Amino acid sequence: MKALGKGSIASFMEVALKITAVVLWVFLGCVAAAALAYAVLNGLIAAGAVSPDILAGERGRVEGSGFEATFDMDSGLAWQVVAPALLSALVAIAGGLIIVRRLLKLFESFRSGEPFRKENATHLRVIWITMMVIELSRYAIMALTGLIITAFGEPSGADMTFRLNVDLMTWASILVLIVLAEVFREGARLREEQELTI
Amino acid sequence: MAIRVTLDRMLLERRMSLTELCDRVGITLANLSILKTGKAKAIRFSTLNALCRELACQPGDILSWEASAEDEVEEQEMAAE
Repeated sequence: MKALGKGSIASFMEVALKITAVVLWVFLGCVAAAALAYAVLNGLIAAGAVSPDILAGERGRVEGSGFEATFDMDSGLAWQVVAPALLSALVAIAGGLIIVRRLLKLFESFRSGEPFRKENATHLRVIWITMMVIELSRYAIMALTGLIITAFGEPSGADMTFRLNVDLMTWASILVLIVLAEVFREGARLREEQELTI
Repeated sequence: MAIRVTLDRMLLERRMSLTELCDRVGITLANLSILKTGKAKAIRFSTLNALCRELACQPGDILSWEASAEDEVEEQEMAAE
């Protein structure tokens, strides 16, 4: 199977990326709906229309015909836990969508058999910058969560431990993408030079 | 670019059209237009050879060099090194 052109690995990847984009949009919709539901629920609790117990944590076991599930959510849906989780999900999904969109454009050009386009270097640059922003925002959100816990106290029943987790694979991928972006820029320059050689 | 292509003048002197030169040299009109308008990045010796043969001239009759701001910057950079 050839790597570039029609009916190649590149065109298969293009289809896979289109599916991934749809899945990410669905995830984004779910996160937005969850955030909205959480805000509405908190509003109703504040107004006294709903009991705060609805957000209280619990531990137990659910049994049904052919299934059994256990759940352990001592801290419940405390905002100190929910807000950073929603924020990190939003950043990751939004970043993922940007990356997938740029990858789609890259693979479109691979499928058409013209990999060394000037725009491809830009797409790769946007991808590594987005990856870096996602990774850095992960650290920032972790720090923010720590600050929230320090300022407002740990939610009752929660056992929260924080450890700085640096993902070396992500940083290695970013470095590889920086180099690849420059390779594509040079390739595009050489291609243009070749086209303008009479 | 500091290299100027003076193909226009040569064609005028020989009362030859660009299309006729294309046919004689075996280059597309689009490529010869790129060369004539100075947009070309490089010229192959085979192309230069064909042009000189059909126009009965020397490479220097088609190409000339003029100092440009780009060259001055490059010269200053080299001096600094």
